[in-house]
Amino acid sequence: MKIVRFIIPLLITSSLIYFLSNAISLGGTSAPPLGHFLNPFEGFWQNATNKNLSINSEITLKGLQNSVSIQYDSNLVPHITASNDKDLYMAQGYVIANLRLWQMEFQTHAAAGRISELIGDKGINFDRLQRRKGMVHGAKATLASFENDPYLVSLVDAYADGVNTYISSLSYRDLPLEYKLMDYEPEPWTPLKTALILQYMTDNLTGFDNDLENTNARNLFGGETFDLLFPDRPEGIEPTITTHPDSLWAFDPIVTTEINTEDIKKYTGKTFEKPDPSNGSNNWVVSGSKTKSGVPILSNDTHLGLNLPSLWIMMQLQSPTVNVYGYTFAGALGITIGHNDSTSWGFTNAPRDTRDWYNITFKDDTELEYLYDSAWRSTTLKIEEIKAKGSEPFYDTVIYTHHGPVVYDGSFLNDDHKNQYYALKWSGHNPSRVQNGLLLLNRANNYDEHIAAIEYWDSPPQNIVFSSTQGDIAMTVQGDFPVKWKGQGKFLMDGSNPSHEWGITIPKAQNARILNPEKGFIGSANQHSVDSLYPYYFYNASNEYYRNRRINDLLSSKQNITIQDMAQMQMDSYSLKAAEILPLLLDSLRGDKFTVEQIDYLERLKRWDYVYRAETKAPLIFNIWWMNLYSNIWDEFDVDTLAMARPSHYNTYLLMKDNPSLAFFDNASTANNETLTELINQSFDQTSEYLKKLISDDPEYNWGDDKATKILHLSRIKDLSILNIQIDGHRHAINSTKGQHGPSQRFVVEMTSPPTAYGIYPGGQSGNPGSYYYDNMVEKWRTGELLPLLFMQPNKNYDDQIMISQTLTPSEK
Amino acid sequence: MKFLIQLLLTIITSWLLQSFLPWWSAVIAAFIIGLLLSGNKGISSFFAGFSAIFLLWFGYALVIDINSQSILTEKIASILTVNNKYILIMITGVIGALPAGFGALTGNRLARLLKKEKNTEHYS
Repeated sequence: MKIVRFIIPLLITSSLIYFLSNAISLGGTSAPPLGHFLNPFEGFWQNATNKNLSINSEITLKGLQNSVSIQYDSNLVPHITASNDKDLYMAQGYVIANLRLWQMEFQTHAAAGRISELIGDKGINFDRLQRRKGMVHGAKATLASFENDPYLVSLVDAYADGVNTYISSLSYRDLPLEYKLMDYEPEPWTPLKTALILQYMTDNLTGFDNDLENTNARNLFGGETFDLLFPDRPEGIEPTITTHPDSLWAFDPIVTTEINTEDIKKYTGKTFEKPDPSNGSNNWVVSGSKTKSGVPILSNDTHLGLNLPSLWIMMQLQSPTVNVYGYTFAGALGITIGHNDSTSWGFTNAPRDTRDWYNITFKDDTELEYLYDSAWRSTTLKIEEIKAKGSEPFYDTVIYTHHGPVVYDGSFLNDDHKNQYYALKWSGHNPSRVQNGLLLLNRANNYDEHIAAIEYWDSPPQNIVFSSTQGDIAMTVQGDFPVKWKGQGKFLMDGSNPSHEWGITIPKAQNARILNPEKGFIGSANQHSVDSLYPYYFYNASNEYYRNRRINDLLSSKQNITIQDMAQMQMDSYSLKAAEILPLLLDSLRGDKFTVEQIDYLERLKRWDYVYRAETKAPLIFNIWWMNLYSNIWDEFDVDTLAMARPSHYNTYLLMKDNPSLAFFDNASTANNETLTELINQSFDQTSEYLKKLISDDPEYNWGDDKATKILHLSRIKDLSILNIQIDGHRHAINSTKGQHGPSQRFVVEMTSPPTAYGIYPGGQSGNPGSYYYDNMVEKWRTGELLPLLFMQPNKNYDDQIMISQTLTPSEK
Repeated sequence: MKFLIQLLLTIITSWLLQSFLPWWSAVIAAFIIGLLLSGNKGISSFFAGFSAIFLLWFGYALVIDINSQSILTEKIASILTVNNKYILIMITGVIGALPAGFGALTGNRLARLLKKEKNTEHYS
């Protein structure tokens, strides 16, 4: 009997221990093991730090040659000082892991198509697409190119050692919150993961194309109409680099002949998800002739998805070969955007079509051979094992041709793609030496060294802006661009035809570049990067038409420019798009029978200065009106079974202005023959009806609510995110904010000696949601305030600005 | 008095164990003290173990919450859909206390079992 009285509580106790030590799955959601998670000695409670920093003042780091000093300033920016470069990058790895470990691993898992390992089989489709696009294939090519440079390999290895020293120091108690929430542990960092981080950015910035959509549109409407709707160079554009009238391009370009591809009449169903085409940026630089101080000022803000932890992290790196401050990615070595003692640089995306699709003809169902140049070539098969949490692994077979992986083969989301085999040719599959380029950029002391550094800038192609304490300003459209014949790669190509292959890569010396222009400034914002006199074919599916012109307008009108002027300009929320389109819409309104609400809307629109202020209604009214009109105009593009991409807003405006009798201005779904004026009026009525309901439900509903800018935690957990941020701006304004997208950092630097820099980003230095430094910069980012950045000089004392110090010491052996 | 002694000893032991062992060491502590102080009644032993770990976990969580200005408590309360930080702190206490109470009871019952066997041995 006493045995039973003992066994019963023993069983209850052990069941409770078992139950509370394991993750529980209820329906679709799973809870972490509650005993571990809620235990205040080791669970999530240990991640609650607020302003306190849990950093040991002395850490032993195996493999260091000498001690490394790390000083965190009041923004929690680490300033790392090492006595040699290997130590420097080992310490950088350690410090970034300390601040952002979960994020850096999560992003590499996403790049490699391994999300299912964390979230289960609902991640399978995402992972399959990553594998099919050849993300790891590209990262491995980049990693292999590191091997040609043993010194670089030693630095990348040192960085990995730094990260791994941090990882191996962790017990459950010290794990970042997200590991505890999702109940898993970090794996060792590898050099491949550094390559994957770079691959992740390459995909973000070069992963967009509309080739298959273009092919559908040309098939439906004919080549002539297609060219009218999608001109390569609509009138009024201002390319980043314009050909100087006195000096045409001083090289003999590789000659190409145009090939007609109109006979490839393939129709394609819905295409796979692509990165946001508005991934882009602003950068500009003004020469000393236009600034108050007489030295150049450089500005850069990069528009990307807004996440927490932030994509960017700030730091300063000092060694005998370098003293550099700026923004970098968790996982990459060195500083990406920033300045050193004598130069500064920044980036905007320089999109050009480096992603093309080839139609593949297989010999038979085995898909072992495909037609090329009138002969059969062998494919290679790659079996992708996708592990999924809580279920069996998924196996996917990806067929590789010499063009690249056959992403579309009917086996993936196959309803729309039966018997369609498209191979992807993408610059992202080629090795990119940007890691090397970054380390050299960090060390460039003048224009010549800058140009030598960016010789390594292969992919993603960027408009690299430059200024120096010597007074030079410059912009280079840099990257690996294939030589293409006119129209090549705008549409689906024939994978069996050798003349459809890409040409060689344009030599970097023939890439467009400008140094010290007479006008005293250079800007870029993802517009066409070159003009029609540049001797190589330029095409890109997602040019930006507005921000760049506004930047040029503002810069050409300004003199005696200060850092404050530049900061203000980054927050400029004026939209040229609205300024151009709205008068045309208002002029076309007919009627004397407006409702009370309509009169109110029109009054607001007429008084509007085209600035997208969060707390106003005019931008909301215009935006909805325009989007209604735009959909009504291009209703011919609503084909359920086909992937379709509509013409740009800019070209839509040009057609409305110059070609008002275009057949597309008739609403295809009605029997009547509408005119553009009728469409504009109909759209206004539609808009009024919609707004009336919206505003009567919530009279305080304004542009900021409609845009609803938000910063999402990478895992999409909304409680770790910041929603509904009331910030001014619009996608096509310099202050380019939209839903989950916007300026992911802002940076301004004046080239005094040493340079004076300011910056801010929508997040904080710590990746820990339990820290004050997780999101402490968001409010300043919202209002446009920039923080002064502390650029330490050797042998000076900054104790009053240092919050906490840490020394990394070599282990005894 | 015995109750208080068991409670205090459980708090101290589990505090020590938990600084280097996972959460279930709190239950081990409650079990060991329950075993050693078997003079208490079973029910009283259960409540001594329960209250000890409840006070320890609840108290520590409360201190962390206050020191960190609730920066994380509120987020986690919302993720776990309890939506109130005090409820979360309370749940934290109960999650540790419940198995600890049963652990203490198990210790108590084991002590009695062993005593019985010892007695039997003595009279044989």
